[in-house]
Amino acid sequence: MTDVRSIEILAAATVGCPILCALLICFLSEQKILIFSKIAGIGTGCFGILLSSLLILDRRLQFDNKWIILDYRSAITIAVISIIGALSVGASFQYMKTQKDSIVGEHRRIRAYYIGIFLFWAITFAVPMAANIGFAWLLIEATTAMSALLVGFSGKKRALEAGWKYLILTSMGLGVALLGISLLASKIPVLGLNGMTWSAMHDFSGSHQEAMIIYIIIASGLATKIGWAPVHNWLPDAHSEAPPPVSGMLSAALLPTVLIVAWRFEIGFGAIIGRQSAQRIFILFGILSIAIAIPFLWQSLPWKRMLAYSSLENMGILALGIGFGNPIAIAGVVIHILGHAIAKSYGFYTSTPLFRHEPNAYRHTASGIARSSPALGVAMGTALGTLAAIPPSPLFISEVFIVFGGIESGHAVAAVIAVLLLALVFLGISHSLIELLAGKSFAHRVNVRFTRIEYLSFFFVVIALLGLTVVAFWLPSSHFIKALV
Amino acid sequence: MNGFVIWLMILLGLAEVMVKRRTVAVGLVTAQALILVGFAISEANSIDRLIIAGALALRAFGLAFLYIYLIRRTHEVTPVIASIGPLSRAGIAISLSLALIWLFGSTTLVTPDTSKAVLVLVVFGVVTVITRRATLLQVLGIVLIENGLALSALVIPGGSSLFIEIGVTLDLILMSLVASAFHFRIFSEFGTANAGALRSLRD
Repeated sequence: MTDVRSIEILAAATVGCPILCALLICFLSEQKILIFSKIAGIGTGCFGILLSSLLILDRRLQFDNKWIILDYRSAITIAVISIIGALSVGASFQYMKTQKDSIVGEHRRIRAYYIGIFLFWAITFAVPMAANIGFAWLLIEATTAMSALLVGFSGKKRALEAGWKYLILTSMGLGVALLGISLLASKIPVLGLNGMTWSAMHDFSGSHQEAMIIYIIIASGLATKIGWAPVHNWLPDAHSEAPPPVSGMLSAALLPTVLIVAWRFEIGFGAIIGRQSAQRIFILFGILSIAIAIPFLWQSLPWKRMLAYSSLENMGILALGIGFGNPIAIAGVVIHILGHAIAKSYGFYTSTPLFRHEPNAYRHTASGIARSSPALGVAMGTALGTLAAIPPSPLFISEVFIVFGGIESGHAVAAVIAVLLLALVFLGISHSLIELLAGKSFAHRVNVRFTRIEYLSFFFVVIALLGLTVVAFWLPSSHFIKALV
Repeated sequence: MNGFVIWLMILLGLAEVMVKRRTVAVGLVTAQALILVGFAISEANSIDRLIIAGALALRAFGLAFLYIYLIRRTHEVTPVIASIGPLSRAGIAISLSLALIWLFGSTTLVTPDTSKAVLVLVVFGVVTVITRRATLLQVLGIVLIENGLALSALVIPGGSSLFIEIGVTLDLILMSLVASAFHFRIFSEFGTANAGALRSLRD
């Protein structure tokens, strides 16, 4: 695997592997699907990790043409999608064993779910590899259709409501983005697919005012899918009502993937409208998203719904980091994408044992879990403590980096506002953490025991988070970050 | 594209915002799509353009059949009434369109008329999605947006990419199929395909 041609083949295999798995699942018996999916999940994840590692370790392997771009941004995102996808497919086993409701008939439930999750995974893999904005748009829209079915998979009224809102609102938002893409295409002299590559945007021939309008339209359209306020209405519903493994993929993999597309657009089109103007829009989305999440994070919400609002806040932090745009802030963005992915997906996965332990947790705050089930409480507490950015959480380091980056890049006011907002977020999540660990425990709870796999996953998560904290200190001065700025 | 066709597209879009019956709404977006097909064929100067016209025709008829099938399978005992009356909806749609034309007036595709028409159709689609309660009418709002965007793709100098156009068509068909699955389930769970009934998720 040392030349660009091999990397192209590996990239095709990474996208093709989950599609092939979905096809094979059509012909397997239900019992075999459960076993096959676990193995196929690990295999697909390995393809993605290999691709991403090669791209990071050897920069000569990076390339772009009119179809595919494989660079550091793709590498980070592919790594996240690989890990979260494999974990979500693995976590689905337990979910399918405990939940019997579905939007399709009982006899097609397992087959439909796994076909859906593998196809969703495949399309998500392709998004960060898309070399032009038109192709990226098509893939993002396709993830919406595929993931909406998974959001409403349980077929319960609330899941149908969440899936419907998600489908309609994000399709509408992406329609607005496509309007901007059409306007953009009409102002680029190079015709066809070549005209919409990230690098061809420099050839924009319209006026500055036209460029600004197009930038705002496309950024607002993509914001709907990323879940940035004020166009985030679908996010808390979809993430809280989807099956836990799907919530993990939506929050930890899909949102950052679309964010990477927005980031590429910000860099590509920033040269036309001025980098500072482009960054200011991101800073605005960032501050607004964190501010709007705060009142909800201060409420006593059910576990998954709280994690969903935390996604809104975290996407806001990432927008801020990209908006600040200097090496230290970008280092913060990279650490935040990785740390958030691990902690958030793990938080969602713990809701499967949580609902076994306390069925009312679906509608009510998870309180005193550490007292009634210490292992589960510690697992949930680890996820929540990481998301609250309590040291040594890598999210603490990333937030500090982003704030320093803001001050260093001359956005001191935005950085100060961000500090105040993050302090409020910290207080809100910390309150939930205390409630989770030491709150009132109820007597009727079902005793759940962690399996060996669940203990192993917990140790994997803790080691990954601590490892990320250590790596974080080296990252700002690395060539990797310099290439991203 | 001549002025008559542009105005016809806009009037069909406005009727879509105001119309009450789902079958009429399906007819209106299909008529719009067929106008686009006619325009694509009349302007076709390469095989790519003819393929795009074919894809648009396939989309128009395919979606029309799908939506009519949905209407027949999910018969509403009483029509789903929108929260805002038809004249008010039209007023909102026109006001918003004029405001955005004023704001974005300088951005042109080929001629100022076509860019304004595209903007107006997108706004009409957004207003339809936001103000209608019948789930099928919300989906038709998205189709109205896509019709406006297809118009913009057809007037871009030299045409947009064949790949992108086919992809957009496939995405819309996929979105419509998924929306149909939801429409059925919502109808069977709630007894009506009324998005107004979907209000349990609140904080």
